[in-house]
Amino acid sequence: MAYCSSSSTTSASPVVRYLPSNSTSSTTSTFSPLPFRSNRRRSVRIATASLSPVNSPSTSFSGSQKNLLLEVKDLTAVIAESKQEILKGVNLVVYEGEVHAIMGKNGSGKSTFAKVLVGHPDYEVTGGSILFKGSDLLEMEPEERSLAGLFMSFQSPVEIPGVSNIDFLNMAYNARRRKLGLAELGPIEFYAYIFPKLDLVNMKTDFLNRNVNEGFSGGERKRNEILQLAVLGAEMAILDEIDSGLDVDALRDVAKAVNGLLTPNNSVLMITHYLRLLEFIEPSRIHIMEDGKIVKTGDISIAKLLEEEGYKAISTA
Amino acid sequence: MATFTFTPHIASRPTLSSSSKRKPKFNSIKTTKVSLQTSPPSLSDPFVLQLAETLEDSLPSSSLPFPLQKLRESSAETLLSTPWPSRRDEAFRFTDVSFIKQSQIHPISNPPQSSQLSSIPVETQFANVVIIDGHFVDSVSNLTELPNGVYVGSFIDLPSHSIAKRVSEFVDGKFVGDLFWSINGVGAPDLTVVYVPAGCKVENPIHFRYFSINGGEEGSKELAVSNPRVLVLVENGGEIEIIEEFLSGDGGRSYWANPVLEVVIGCGGKVKHSYIQNQSLNAAHIKWTSVQQESTSAYELVEISTGGKLSRHNVHIQQLGPETMTELSTLHLSVGNQTQDLHSSLVLDHPRGYSRQLHKCIVANPQGQAVFDGNVKVNRYAQQTDAGQLTRSLLLEPRATVNVKPNLQIIADDVKCSHGAAISDLEETQLFYFQARGIDLETARKALIFSFGAEVIERLPSTSVQKRVENHIKELLNTTLERS
Ligand SMILES: Nc1ncnc2c1ncn2[C@@H]1O[C@H](COP(=O)(O)OP(=O)(O)OP(=O)(O)O)[C@@H](O)[C@H]1O
Ligand SMILES: [Mg+2]
Repeated sequence: MAYCSSSSTTSASPVVRYLPSNSTSSTTSTFSPLPFRSNRRRSVRIATASLSPVNSPSTSFSGSQKNLLLEVKDLTAVIAESKQEILKGVNLVVYEGEVHAIMGKNGSGKSTFAKVLVGHPDYEVTGGSILFKGSDLLEMEPEERSLAGLFMSFQSPVEIPGVSNIDFLNMAYNARRRKLGLAELGPIEFYAYIFPKLDLVNMKTDFLNRNVNEGFSGGERKRNEILQLAVLGAEMAILDEIDSGLDVDALRDVAKAVNGLLTPNNSVLMITHYLRLLEFIEPSRIHIMEDGKIVKTGDISIAKLLEEEGYKAISTA
Repeated sequence: MATFTFTPHIASRPTLSSSSKRKPKFNSIKTTKVSLQTSPPSLSDPFVLQLAETLEDSLPSSSLPFPLQKLRESSAETLLSTPWPSRRDEAFRFTDVSFIKQSQIHPISNPPQSSQLSSIPVETQFANVVIIDGHFVDSVSNLTELPNGVYVGSFIDLPSHSIAKRVSEFVDGKFVGDLFWSINGVGAPDLTVVYVPAGCKVENPIHFRYFSINGGEEGSKELAVSNPRVLVLVENGGEIEIIEEFLSGDGGRSYWANPVLEVVIGCGGKVKHSYIQNQSLNAAHIKWTSVQQESTSAYELVEISTGGKLSRHNVHIQQLGPETMTELSTLHLSVGNQTQDLHSSLVLDHPRGYSRQLHKCIVANPQGQAVFDGNVKVNRYAQQTDAGQLTRSLLLEPRATVNVKPNLQIIADDVKCSHGAAISDLEETQLFYFQARGIDLETARKALIFSFGAEVIERLPSTSVQKRVENHIKELLNTTLERS
């Protein structure tokens, strides 16, 4: 009769969202800003494009005291569902404190590479190896990789309705603390911890009470990813197109935040299409990816050449 | 393999005929003079007859005030021609009530003895009514701080003749539900009344606590049936919040709670209604809620049902005037071998009505089931109506079942209606996002499942009830997810 049957767990047939009048779920815990907010504002003053990270290209490979952080060898990976090969033998070495960038045409496999590094279930590794701080990354669950100090900011982070940003961050931060054998922080202590970090990415407090990425603009999502990085910290941060969709001021904010998080020991791997970001966060090495492989490595001059002449200028063909 | 059935059923003008084919036909010689409300007509069902007799015998008939006597008689008459439902009846297609029929049913004739009352926890926060096995128990209720003119208590004790007369108009009302409605009409030992005079805005909620203390031991065939009946009458411009909480009683006793709540809201009146069903996992719980709303009145229901082996909520709401607002939010959780069923029907007959329905269910057990049949009827004169209905189901076990039939019938042409249904497991990309930030899979699953239900829980008006429900649901989910 009027019923129809099917036998699948995931069928999301016509979904018409309706928003009940009181659905803005920002009501739970409204913290008022602490009074000393402006006095304590952290000033991370970085003159435009002047920050040269602790390493320079000339020393990064010769420096004997530098420790290996990430070593990727002949990495191949396929899409789990279709078995289509996307990564076709990627090689990359990153030392502590280095800033690297990966550039390359749309669809060349940059995001796939980043996601494979953090253990995304859409992909299957079919060959090669990844060592992170000397351990075999491929043996680790995604959450273990994160707890080990690997962070990736997603090119398009997913929305999580029903889970507030602050609860999410609190959960993630407590997972870190548990791992370190420290006591977990309750919501109020955590708020005190996170509050100063908001300024770092120039985010308003009400973002904390909104659901994770729900209804966030493109730029807000990127800031939110960097906020997570600031809260959780990472020895290796992979930033996938952190600059796309950002206006000039936002780009400066985000770059400033990333630079503020750099120390002599942690590293950044940026994926970008634009020279502009590289002028804010200066990489020591730039890699060009093409059809699932890194086909060229060099310094900032590659990015300049790209900007002027496009990919044909550095094509391997 | 998970199964679900789903019928997005938006009937507009051309299919009008589909509703007319359910009109009862009175061609049976036996039933013509019995009742005009039953369909389909049939000879008396011996099981139902016996049940009706048992219920009647269990109650003293002489002392009943006239309106209750009348209710009992008309209900008995209806039962004469109403068969016990089978899976062949559309309304019970997915809800198997045969386990009630196979049990030894006995009514609870007497109010609880005072020795049994010591187990009832004291509630201090709200004015509250305690109903034990269908009997209103004044001695453990606390109704001392009611505003002037507001009455909460037994019909028999109504202080004013004029109010009693007013209430009587609604005791045996026009609306007649199904078999279970009539069983309550025959078996209700009493009628508990909430009366709010015109213009009176009752500030604090009235908390109804329903206890089922009689019942068979776990696994026995005994089924003690109780028929609590409550009427809430809010005169023009009056406002009240009521919280109905059905508690489990100790252990996994088997009983059958068959409550009816009727709500009548005068013009511009407002009722907020929370309904929390947390009965024993061996119990049958079949509830009726019938609401009549005069113009510009508002009714909001938030339901959280987690208990019962068989739990069904029948909701009937009629908007009787223009600019009337109705909001229904339900969360059903099936963590055991249990059925959670919501059958709701909302009739909008007048211009500029507003209605929102959100139904969510989580089935976390391979033998668990959720059923939803939600009918919203926007009739010819209900122009400029704004009606929305959304149902979302979360199936956490490969063999869990959900049967949803959202059903929006629109006859008026100038209306704004939205409608949706989705059935899913947890989103893998969302789970991965948690993991990528160092949160383990189990914690991530719990957070996502809980957040699914939180949307409804957050709508409970009382924060203390909200907290309690939240903790209860977390506990249920924790034990279920850890087992799996
Ligand atoms: N989960 C997936 N399912 C199907 N195809 C995929 C999936 N992931 C990646 N691909 C395909 O693999 C190729 C590489 O995609 P990827 O996202 O890694 O490119 P990219 O270099 O990051 O591109 P862009 O610069 O546009 O972000 C594309 O052709 C893409 O369509
Ligand atoms: Mg990409």
